[in-house]
Amino acid sequence: MKIQPLVVLLVFFVAAGAVAEASQLVIYSGRNERFVMPLIEAFQEETGIRVQLLSGDAAQYVHRLQAERNNPRADVFISNDGALLEVARSMDLLMANDSEALEAIPEQYRAPDGAWVGLAARTRVLMYNKDMTTEEEMPASVWDLADPQWHGQFLITRPGNASMVSHISALRVVHGDETTKNFLRGLMDNEPTIVRGHTDIRRAVGAGEYAFGLVNNYYYHLQLEEPRDNHVGAVYPDQGEGEMGAFVNVSGVGLVNGAPNAANALQFIDYLLQPEPMYLYSYNSRETPLVPDIEAVSDAKRIDEYRAAELPLGQLGPMYNTTLDLMEAAGFGE
Amino acid sequence: MAISLQHVTKTYSSANGPAVDGLSLDIPQGHITTLLGPSGCGKTTTLRLIAGFERPEQGSIAIAGRTMADNQRWVPPEKRGIGMVFQDYALFPHLNVERNTGFGLKGPDLKKKVQSTLDLVGLGNYLKAMPHELSGGQQQRVALARALIRDPLVILFDEPFSNLDTDLREQMRQEVVDILQRAHATAVFVTHDQREALAISDQIVVMKDGRIQQQGSPREIYQYPETAFVASFVGQSNLLPGTMGTDGYVMTALGPIPCHHTHGRETGEPVTLSIRPDSFEMDPDGELEGTILRTVYTGEAIDALVTLGQGSTACNIWVHIHPEEQVRTGTVLRFTVLPHFVAVIRGDA
Amino acid sequence: MSNSKHPVMGKVRQAWMRHWQGRPPSAGLLTAAFFGAAIMIIPVVYVVSLAAEAGPGAWSRLFTTRVPTLWWNTFALTISVTAASVTIGGLLAFLTLRTDLPGRGLFRWLLAVPLAVPPYIGALAYILVFGPRGLWFQWLGSAPVDIYGFVGAFWVLTLFTYPYTYLITSAALRRLNQNFEEAGLSCGVPYWKVLLTVTLKLLRPSLGAGAVLTALYVLSDFGAIAMLRYNTFTRAIYYQMTGRFDQSAAAVLSLLLMVVTVLVLTVERFTRAQQAFRQDSGTYRKPQLIKLGHLRWPSLVFLGLILFSAVLLPIAVLLYWTVLGWNQGTVDARFWQFAWNSFSSAAAAALLCVLLALPLTYLKSRYPSRSTAALLRIAYGGYALPGVIVALGIMIVYDRFLPVFYGSLSMLILALTVRFLPQSMQSQDAALELVSPRLDEAARSMGQTPLGVLYRVIFPAILPGAAAGGALAFVSALKELPAALLLRPAGFDTLSVRIWMESVEGFYAYAAPAALLLIAVSMLPLRLILNRY
Repeated sequence: MKIQPLVVLLVFFVAAGAVAEASQLVIYSGRNERFVMPLIEAFQEETGIRVQLLSGDAAQYVHRLQAERNNPRADVFISNDGALLEVARSMDLLMANDSEALEAIPEQYRAPDGAWVGLAARTRVLMYNKDMTTEEEMPASVWDLADPQWHGQFLITRPGNASMVSHISALRVVHGDETTKNFLRGLMDNEPTIVRGHTDIRRAVGAGEYAFGLVNNYYYHLQLEEPRDNHVGAVYPDQGEGEMGAFVNVSGVGLVNGAPNAANALQFIDYLLQPEPMYLYSYNSRETPLVPDIEAVSDAKRIDEYRAAELPLGQLGPMYNTTLDLMEAAGFGE
Repeated sequence: MAISLQHVTKTYSSANGPAVDGLSLDIPQGHITTLLGPSGCGKTTTLRLIAGFERPEQGSIAIAGRTMADNQRWVPPEKRGIGMVFQDYALFPHLNVERNTGFGLKGPDLKKKVQSTLDLVGLGNYLKAMPHELSGGQQQRVALARALIRDPLVILFDEPFSNLDTDLREQMRQEVVDILQRAHATAVFVTHDQREALAISDQIVVMKDGRIQQQGSPREIYQYPETAFVASFVGQSNLLPGTMGTDGYVMTALGPIPCHHTHGRETGEPVTLSIRPDSFEMDPDGELEGTILRTVYTGEAIDALVTLGQGSTACNIWVHIHPEEQVRTGTVLRFTVLPHFVAVIRGDA
Repeated sequence: MSNSKHPVMGKVRQAWMRHWQGRPPSAGLLTAAFFGAAIMIIPVVYVVSLAAEAGPGAWSRLFTTRVPTLWWNTFALTISVTAASVTIGGLLAFLTLRTDLPGRGLFRWLLAVPLAVPPYIGALAYILVFGPRGLWFQWLGSAPVDIYGFVGAFWVLTLFTYPYTYLITSAALRRLNQNFEEAGLSCGVPYWKVLLTVTLKLLRPSLGAGAVLTALYVLSDFGAIAMLRYNTFTRAIYYQMTGRFDQSAAAVLSLLLMVVTVLVLTVERFTRAQQAFRQDSGTYRKPQLIKLGHLRWPSLVFLGLILFSAVLLPIAVLLYWTVLGWNQGTVDARFWQFAWNSFSSAAAAALLCVLLALPLTYLKSRYPSRSTAALLRIAYGGYALPGVIVALGIMIVYDRFLPVFYGSLSMLILALTVRFLPQSMQSQDAALELVSPRLDEAARSMGQTPLGVLYRVIFPAILPGAAAGGALAFVSALKELPAALLLRPAGFDTLSVRIWMESVEGFYAYAAPAALLLIAVSMLPLRLILNRY
């Protein structure tokens, strides 16, 4: 009687541990599962390594990696946001990777020690419905989102979305905290419709429920390929002289510090950096490849065709939490 | 008559036969009438028919001369002017004593009326108490007050004392009867307890299988049971076959037995005789001799099972012996039979 | 009795014996029961402690920005859903039990079916039909209402919570002593008035119990509310947990939600104490059915509308999408792997629930004392804990004390156990109540040890009840969404997780088969639930 529950519990712990041991590559991914699955299937096919995937929001996996730091369970951390990769690195949750394969990616898109590497670029754009407005009528700057003129006409993601957080971090770097806070207050006064993710935005704009929304550029490309509701366009904002340019973020992959299957993890990262998988990686999501040789989605602007904000992504990492606090203080919080 | 039932029949869909079968009954004003019988005899159904909780298929029911139910008329229970006390009292658990008693009543003098009614049942100081704070006897009194307060034409009691302990039961019985008499109320009780029925009633109606077996004063019912069922249900009784003799004697295997209540049976007719155990008196010169088989000491008397006669005519009967007598199994005694508690039973039982 | 060598120890011993009325339980039993209660309380304690550790900055930031809205949203939804759900549930119970409504025998059963539909699946079905690009839109060109926000959350939660009140009130109506109504009539009060002044008042405790269950459910629901994009505490807590890698803000919001929950429970205790009247069972009699007359058709329409909205429509829509999915091959090996994950984790949690509940319920029935009552209250308190808070608590506890096991399946199983232990306790409790302590004494007098009694007498006797409790916990664990979302290990997606992931991305052909399977399995123990009420 007295020992029964304890014994059962112990058995569970051991069994649960055994299940974890049996897998051969554990990936925590903050990227949409549908973008990741084809790559993983191809990798499994090619190498015979069994992959265990956990999909969710990147920020929660930073927390999880932190909690598991003494007994890491994951080998690879895929993030849809470069800043969070840097956050994880700065917390010692990622470890250095000196694989030569990393050199395929331009230096500014990877960690100096190779702990993480970007794989594709995503640019913050304003996607609009061409039946409802035109490129000329559209706001040309992200700052216009705080202009009462656009009250109630657009969508943004919820504040916890990593792309949103890093975008706000970028605004802070360029314009300072006070200006950013005022912008956020104006944005909230405009009562935009706040949805869970970018997929909701592209569908709603495509269907003409709203005139436009703030998305990562590849959602625009995905919507273009839809069989219907595809009459959409995109504005790359802040292109004028002296303006900050469109904010470019990367998604990428990091090597977990103390990864139990480190060899497989290295093999996976190297695999991703080969031309074919790299093409798949960006093509699946319609992101822009970071290596100019890799073919991009046909109608996507090449990365040198527009003015991109010049920010080292690493700088945004340490700001992640304070940006969330600032957003919350401005009334844009979960 | 306060209540008059004519040829009332009520059948439940799930039952085999009718619960009440062509019952006709008059209940006099200002008296206490008890419907007595074993469970399933139809006594509760009769009460509920009077209250209006059940509808008869046939027959008519009138209260105070007003037809409440027949082929054409149906007066719902709330319009019949009756009061009812339930077996479990059915005090509204969410209302206090005062509001239970005055339930459904309005008017400027309601408070006074509630007070005086509760005074009558001896609960004048319990106005604000909740039902669950009261003892069983007190709950009973509230139920009675609730039934009395609207001066009903008749108060119906469904096994009202069966939830009380033996001591309290007898005390409450007496109190309720006193209160009813003071209020000059007409009351109908339902019970399966024959002692209770004998103790409280002006009139007893013994029922079985939905029909009336016998109707009369407690004394009539006890002394002169008309059917074997009544004889054995109300008190103990010895039933003996015999033949009607002359001069009020019935010839039995035990010899001639004196009998006052013969229903006018002709000499020579075969009859069944009910002899209460109290009819036997120990008498050294008595004509009956018997051997005690078993004794039960009850305090008030010794119930003894005695074998009378011999051989093929031998029979066992119960007799009551004075508790001071020293008797035991095997003692041989002689008896005489007194005629007061001997009755010829109608043959139809 | 007292030990002369150690007078202090003797005193303690005496007090101990007095506490247990001379019959203390064995140390083993006490430890096991204590363990069960500890598992329930520790996560809560650590959520509170993390909230307390959050700096004043976090508190003031949340209070000035998020909390007022969340508070208002949560209250508005909880109160309106509870009111509507109790009204509908009570009305349906009355209609099916006390009136001559045609087909009431069938309706009685059908009306309980929504209990098998987790609200987030209901929300999915409603989004599929009334969403901005749902079936309605496709057929008729415009969505009839904006399903997102308060209206949708209110409608869906009301539809799938009314069975609580319906079942409890039905049970109460069946047990209701007819004499009260007859006594009312015999006081010269017309029937409709007796219904209002007596019957309705006597049903107040059951309506209240239904209201409390509903309110607690609404406070704890995450899936339906998040899918329908209404912002309440649970949704905010979830996104704080997934959007930040620092969980103190989530803990602060959790603490506030727990305060609301405790408030509801306190109100319930208070009103229950106020209505501490018992109903003498009395003589049971079949009540006379009320003739509906000209109300018959409106009543049938009302009933039909509820059944259509809460049973027919969701199941039909999910079937439609399941067929689509089946043809697209979405029910593949992966799907069955998810199903297996769901079943195995739920089964493990259910088993753990049954085993942990045993010492607690046994202690309660055989060794009543103040500490027993306290242990039981702690253990039962868990039933009001929202899944997101349980998940947060488990995360904190593992982080601080079991870092080696962080990220293992045990986290999920433990969270499910904490969440559904009270359900299995309830069934065992009821079963034990029927096993007279005289049976124990008889077995002891025939030479059995206490342990022998437990295994040879008690356990066999309560096995059906324990199994029923396990089945209920199993089904609930199967349906649990937020704990699975937050705690599952890599490669261990469950059906509920898939429903969530696929439907937020709009891949309904993947979500619908999983939803339908969950509903089908949840229907199985419905009988147990119906029998309990």
